[in-house]
Amino acid sequence: MMCQAECRHYLQFSFQLPDVYQVFESVAKKYDVMNDMMSLGIHRVWKDLLLWKMRPFPGTQLLDVAGGTGDIAFRFLNYVQAQHQRKQKKQLRAQQNLSWEEIARKYQNEEDSLGGSRVMVCDINKEMLKIGKQKAHAQGYKAGLAWILGDAEELPFDDDKFDVYTIAFGIRNVTHIDQALQEAHRVLKPGGRFLCLEFSQVNNPLVSRLYDVYSFQVIPVLGEVIAGDWKSYQYLVESIRQFPSQEEFKEMIEDAGFQKVTYENLTSGIVAIHSGFKL
Amino acid sequence: MVSAAMATLLRGFLRPLCAFRGSPGSSTGVPLRAVSHGAGLLYPEHIPTSPLQKVLLAAGSAGMALYDPYRHDMVAVLGETTGHRTLKVLRDQMKKDPEGAQILLERPRISLSTLDMGKLRGLPEGSFGCAYLRFLDVNRVSPDTRAPTRFVDDEELAYVIQRYREIHDMLHTLLGMPTNILGEIVVKWFEAVQTGLPMCVLSALFGPIQLSTQSLQLLISELIPWAVENGRRAPCVLNVYYERRWEQPLQALRQELGITEPPLRVEGLV
Repeated sequence: MMCQAECRHYLQFSFQLPDVYQVFESVAKKYDVMNDMMSLGIHRVWKDLLLWKMRPFPGTQLLDVAGGTGDIAFRFLNYVQAQHQRKQKKQLRAQQNLSWEEIARKYQNEEDSLGGSRVMVCDINKEMLKIGKQKAHAQGYKAGLAWILGDAEELPFDDDKFDVYTIAFGIRNVTHIDQALQEAHRVLKPGGRFLCLEFSQVNNPLVSRLYDVYSFQVIPVLGEVIAGDWKSYQYLVESIRQFPSQEEFKEMIEDAGFQKVTYENLTSGIVAIHSGFKL
Repeated sequence: MVSAAMATLLRGFLRPLCAFRGSPGSSTGVPLRAVSHGAGLLYPEHIPTSPLQKVLLAAGSAGMALYDPYRHDMVAVLGETTGHRTLKVLRDQMKKDPEGAQILLERPRISLSTLDMGKLRGLPEGSFGCAYLRFLDVNRVSPDTRAPTRFVDDEELAYVIQRYREIHDMLHTLLGMPTNILGEIVVKWFEAVQTGLPMCVLSALFGPIQLSTQSLQLLISELIPWAVENGRRAPCVLNVYYERRWEQPLQALRQELGITEPPLRVEGLV
């Protein structure tokens, strides 16, 4: 069963299997544009849903693996910041009898605006990280954010470090998915949560037909016209088809030691969010 | 009529779709339908495409080429996806001509690695080879910037369009046109009349949009009539084995092809 999951990666590509690193190196600059074009902007909703499912509390330590261009990390920072601000407002309203010193301190913003939340973005690809850092700079994200070059199969972190581990549209590009899952289990604290947002199997036959047509007929053309790169996007749609089904992936997550593993289909199963806990 | 065409297209792509798609998620160990590792390819750079994909590529590349004129690769893609019928006609023309047939047989390629630059530099002033070299130097272009053909589903036709691309600089030399926008448009008009390739026709018709009024006037009144006349008069330029004519004096080659001097200098214009 494990071997099949691995072997899958070496079959069925319509041309010489490209080096995944090179694929992402060449798509990095147009990654976000292409995501918008290919999913007609829906990928933004999927990522928002991942954050809403996560519901991070202030002080959450998040590890976002294969987080390249920072989409999940920025959403996380927005979420915890908004949450922290709401909490502060509530506190201020409740505390009507503050001394002058206490009020002055609050206005000086000595407090951490994120309430102790931190996100580490880990990616194996330098180009993707570079784009992510540029975006962070352009959009003004500084506090609580770190960028680490690392391999999902061998994370450069100690055991029991993080509250939440996310991997969005990244795990299907990992050669040994089971190793990535084991690493995820290792670096999470007891009680920590694993969340994976990934393409999955469509459960509706009509949607499946349309999705296939769109994937195989339109997406490589979009890749060629917009990014001048047919082959990377052909690889993309083929790698999506190779990925295990919702149930199979659930079993793989359970094999890595996670418990209470569930999944939720989005957009008729084009995408699924898998969740598990280290207990 | 449109819906009938769409229906044919839909039927056309549903079949190749089976070749691309493996049955998802089968964990039973039955081998997934393998798309051959290269057996469907007619030449190394070939990317097989369904009729629907060709339509989408043609439309997309046309749009992108207009939107971003620096996307020369899009013009190439447009040529490949729309030129099938025309390429067949050109290939047949080449076969009938002795020099053209030899080109089809020997398949010469023009690149820095295949050209003997040392020999070309030693050629006398006034020769075709010398003029070609000067053209490359003055306009700072290299014969290596031509992208390989990918979307033509016939390997001989793929060579024909590759050859057409590679002799483009030779046509510049023969017509005495520089590589600014006006010069390129003039050469495209010549090529459109000569080859009939849809991409040349579209470029010739839409290229002038970006010109100034003065240049447009000159184009319409003098340059286009000259280019069209020469295009009609000259034999098929794909039938000329340029690599064997480096020593031939430029004027003699022009006379042989019936190409006259340009009516005005295009260098300073935009």
